[in-house]
Amino acid sequence: MRIYEYIIRRSVLLVFVLVGVSLITFYLSRGIPSAFNPCAPYINPKMTPEVIHNTCASHGFYQPLYLQYFYWIRDVLSGNWGSAGTWANGQPVYTVFASRFPYTVELALSAVIISVVVGLPLGILSAVHNNKPIDHASRIVALTGISTPVYWFGFVLQLIFFYYFLQWGLPNLPNQGAVSVGAPTIQSYTGIPILDGLLNGNWSFAWDAFLHVILPSITLAFASLGALTRLVRASMLEVLKQDYITLARSKGLSERVVVFRHALRNALIPALTVAGLLFAGLLGGAVITETVFNWPGVGSLSVTAVLQGDSNFVMLYTLVTALIVVVANLIVDVLYAAVDPRIRY
Amino acid sequence: MTEKELESKQPPKRSGQRAAYVDELKYSVSLLAKNKLVLIGIVMSVFFILVAIFSNVIVNPATAYKFNFPNDYCWNSNLFSWGTQSKICPATLNFPLGSDGYGRNLLSMIVLAIPLDLSIALEIVGSALAIGIILGAVAAYAGGWVDEVILRVTDIFFAFPFLILALVFAAVLGRTIPNLELAILLVWWPVYVRLIRGQMLSEKTKAYVEALKALGVSRWRTLFFHLIPNSIYPLLVQATLDIGGVILTFSALVFLGFSPSPALPELGNLTADGIGQIFTAPWLLVFPGLVILLISLGFNLVGDGLRDVLDPRLRR
Repeated sequence: MRIYEYIIRRSVLLVFVLVGVSLITFYLSRGIPSAFNPCAPYINPKMTPEVIHNTCASHGFYQPLYLQYFYWIRDVLSGNWGSAGTWANGQPVYTVFASRFPYTVELALSAVIISVVVGLPLGILSAVHNNKPIDHASRIVALTGISTPVYWFGFVLQLIFFYYFLQWGLPNLPNQGAVSVGAPTIQSYTGIPILDGLLNGNWSFAWDAFLHVILPSITLAFASLGALTRLVRASMLEVLKQDYITLARSKGLSERVVVFRHALRNALIPALTVAGLLFAGLLGGAVITETVFNWPGVGSLSVTAVLQGDSNFVMLYTLVTALIVVVANLIVDVLYAAVDPRIRY
Repeated sequence: MTEKELESKQPPKRSGQRAAYVDELKYSVSLLAKNKLVLIGIVMSVFFILVAIFSNVIVNPATAYKFNFPNDYCWNSNLFSWGTQSKICPATLNFPLGSDGYGRNLLSMIVLAIPLDLSIALEIVGSALAIGIILGAVAAYAGGWVDEVILRVTDIFFAFPFLILALVFAAVLGRTIPNLELAILLVWWPVYVRLIRGQMLSEKTKAYVEALKALGVSRWRTLFFHLIPNSIYPLLVQATLDIGGVILTFSALVFLGFSPSPALPELGNLTADGIGQIFTAPWLLVFPGLVILLISLGFNLVGDGLRDVLDPRLRR
């Protein structure tokens, strides 16, 4: 099979997966005992009962659920994702999502950077000192990260670095939101606060945004650190056993050169892949962290939407995050084939 | 040497097999024993399991739910000045971890919560294992379109933001413990299907399966008595690792607003209850969450060590 045939085959499967995801989400989210009539976002107080009836009928709300799905598909294909409920002032869900998504990108990106900066050296150290105290320590750090309740860790960080530091008169970190409450409104280029601050040349705004992202991104990174560390360790151990490493050592090269020049490059490929998938996962999975830190991203918003029974927003959120995950997987698989000549499809 | 003598020199076949098996087991145990972290993990897990089994002996549930602090209300402490009306009290000798918002001994509540949390985790992981083994084995053994359909369905579940899916399930089903369990189960099973399917596919091609076929052993017998037992080890490792994950997920659902009932002694519920008082009575949040962390860490240490021992590429 040629590579483009493989991509086409996978893309067909991708559509299949997305239809499956939307079908399941649709049935479930329309089934939530809703706080409001699912048709409510489409109508406004100025409408007469007759107009209301017609509007609701045109979106299929008087049809059985399985037919409503096709009405929904029709609306979405014509670019209408529907409106959010009163909790978001009835704005189109697409607008709500787009305005909040950059915040989630900022948080996920910072978390991935922390994971890589901490997890990579930890994994390498762990592999080089296999079964030595350093290896055990890094294993404990990794497993503790996996075992920690994310929201608990977030609140403990708030308790120490926000509250206690404040009590002790130390410089404390902010614990709520992405920028300070009184922050000036600045020209938005990307929607990502740190980047916007820099692009505007407003250093204090960027610094403020940077301080706000520290605690949430540490919280998020701590949970994903473990997987990355364990993977780097495993792939490093695998590479260090190879013949060419023995050859490099027998040439009399120093251990440092062997590890960093020869082994690391090959061990890094799977690690960076995981970092990529991690980022894709975090874009959709920062739900708890965002809620703990009142982060104005799409994750915390989706929880509100579920609790409010707002199917329109839940549909958009699940589809976008599912799309990101599936496409990231596809890109990784294709890149693997491009990099590694042994892989053929 | 006569033929008879020769035969007597050979070890009896059955016991020989068993001896090899015992040797293998001994080797595995010795490997595990060498790994101190696994030992720590086993001690932690066994400790929490014992606490769970004897929780009703350690704490009398009949009195634990009542407010039994010496005073009706907690004193007006300088350190914690929220007035005389509060039932939340800092630690004393009788209340080593203080009391919660209902005036109950927090330590007793944690002890009573451990069996509930462990049984929730066991129920979910056990059911997910059962579903995974059945679907995964069928997919690998039947192949063809059955395999394709099962795989595509797991694909769909893997693409979901799984916490949101569980949230939506929970929202539809309603906030009771069995419903929350069901919501987690619905997002948890696909991992096991994939695991056992992959394992069985490699197992299926081995020579002994051919031999069984030649012996006339039925397909079902081959599947249930040979293929599944031989492919189950990675699943058991995953299951051990998942016990912590399930408790974490359950507590996350509770935190996000799906508490089955406000006063329920469940670790996630106790932790979430403490959030309101985080800056005035931090112990309410810190200790139950710490117990979740320790339970989860214990099982993860065991699972991680088991993986190293059971993985033939890593052990020798």
